[in-house]
Amino acid sequence: MSADEKTPLFKNWNYWYILVIAFLIVLVISFYFFTKHFS
Amino acid sequence: MSTADWIVLIVTLLCVIIYGLYKSRSEKNLDGYFLCERSVPWYIVLLSIMGTQASAVTFLSAPGQAYTDGMRFVQYYFGLPLAMVVLCITFVPVFHKLKIYTAYEFLEKRFDLKTRTLTSFLFLVQRGLSTGISISAPSIILSSLLGWDIFYTNIFMGGLLIIYTVTGGAKAVAYTQQLQLIIIFSGMIIAGYMVVHLLPAHVGFFDALHVGGKAGKLNVITTGFTKKGFNWNDRYNLLSGVIGGFFLALSYFGTDQSQVGRYITAKSENESKLGLLMNGLVKVPMQFLILLVGVLVFAFYQFTNEPVFFNQSQLNVLAKSKYKDSLIVLQKEYNETEAKKIQQVNLLADKQVQKDVPAYIQTQLELKAIEDKKAKYRHTIKRWLDDKDVKGESNDTNYIFLRFVVDYLPKGLVGLLIAVIFLAAWSSIAAALNSLSAATIIDFHKRFSKKELSEKKEYDLSRWYTLLWGIFCIVVAQLAYNIGNSLIEAVNVLGSLFYGVILGIFLVAFYMKKISGNAVFCSAVIIEALVITIHVLNQKGIMNLSFLWLNAVGAIGVIILSALVNPLINNNKKVGNKLPT
Repeated sequence: MSADEKTPLFKNWNYWYILVIAFLIVLVISFYFFTKHFS
Repeated sequence: MSTADWIVLIVTLLCVIIYGLYKSRSEKNLDGYFLCERSVPWYIVLLSIMGTQASAVTFLSAPGQAYTDGMRFVQYYFGLPLAMVVLCITFVPVFHKLKIYTAYEFLEKRFDLKTRTLTSFLFLVQRGLSTGISISAPSIILSSLLGWDIFYTNIFMGGLLIIYTVTGGAKAVAYTQQLQLIIIFSGMIIAGYMVVHLLPAHVGFFDALHVGGKAGKLNVITTGFTKKGFNWNDRYNLLSGVIGGFFLALSYFGTDQSQVGRYITAKSENESKLGLLMNGLVKVPMQFLILLVGVLVFAFYQFTNEPVFFNQSQLNVLAKSKYKDSLIVLQKEYNETEAKKIQQVNLLADKQVQKDVPAYIQTQLELKAIEDKKAKYRHTIKRWLDDKDVKGESNDTNYIFLRFVVDYLPKGLVGLLIAVIFLAAWSSIAAALNSLSAATIIDFHKRFSKKELSEKKEYDLSRWYTLLWGIFCIVVAQLAYNIGNSLIEAVNVLGSLFYGVILGIFLVAFYMKKISGNAVFCSAVIIEALVITIHVLNQKGIMNLSFLWLNAVGAIGVIILSALVNPLINNNKKVGNKLPT
């Protein structure tokens, strides 16, 4: 990666990785309650 | 199909072909043909990798899957976002630094020629066959539902896209995928809206969800644990989705040239990463929504006549078999049961009945008895179709959604939804043909040819290889017709037979710097044989392991065996080459 290429939106890519994993966790938890609510 | 449907279908397909040809202008060399001169922005990368992954089967099979088995299939994608993160950390920077055309070039730089050739060969076999099946699977469904000739359906399904794929290479593939996905998503959103719109006036969206939920169709999260412990043969649960799905997604996106070939076209490493991470964010919700359409279709059929079997052509087969008289009796009894079911479901939806708890419970019990009776009728139909004298196809899951579309959607919209099936097929097949051509010319022709080729000659050869692979896949599709509906599952199983081992090789390359080419090559051959053996034992009923776990077995097997074999093979020998830093 060239030095002048900045990570979009965040300071570095680690924040992006955390966002993706956190979003997955939120989805799984939401799906759990969705399943429970409608069963 | 009505005239309006034909017009919508033909105009939509023509628009995509013309757009593909319009976007075909690129440099007449390998960089232009396979890498779009590395000029693609992240959102095209995103749509391109989504379009490559989502085949026609995704849109045909997923709603049917939700209809029969509920929404737990979405868990199959839980490992994907994690795989995107690992790809961005490990694979993408190396692929960009090495400026490769195919993922397998990297293996020669890290190990040796034979490891690269073996891996590229495994890819060609697996991708070539599964692309043929990807053409055949939707063709079979469309031809039996609409009475089209299978030969010509295969030609149209796999042939028309060759025009812009041969002409425009990766650029035409990427930009048509963008248009295709817009049409596909629009079609699916309209279909979802129409299902809710077609529900009885007193039944709303949330009522439909409650109907699906009460029938166990909203089982998005399942653990796979039973009273006897964890069920290893259970395909879709949280654990198999996260672990098995992670390995499958990592090997598919990291080592399958049909995907690697999409994101290495990005104009920078950042754009590749952003496209992949966005895919990690949107893929699971997208799959959730596609499955939800299936649940809504299920709810719809609770208030209207549900066919005893969704594949009418198979009922026609039975009507000509020794079961023809029994079928007439069964159909009559089934229709009477359906009428009672609709009566009971409407009672359940009645607010007065809902307030009267004993009456509500009584209605629920009666409905349960009716559902059990219906299940027996369906089981009988399937048993008849499985009879060796009938030789029918007893799985109608993939016909459910399209049958609903054809029977209930208005004129014009049917044509659009049929176009969605074509475009979904085209987007993944076009990417596959482009990648097959890239692997053939880069990993074999150029690598082993002693003749120096001019840029123009390489470009022309690449186009010829794309055309030849297109013809090969259509021939496979024509031959695959005899296998029947089970070939849809064959695509997934075929992938799992090879992906794990290929991923294992790449993981060793990235993370185990001391392992040599000889060690990883021997391990890959042994573990591939082991994976195929496990699959055969599964088929014979001797073992009971879901195919999703084969990815993990292949990858972990190659890693462990390479580590064990390496000291024996490479005593005092030079080991792997250095990766770029």
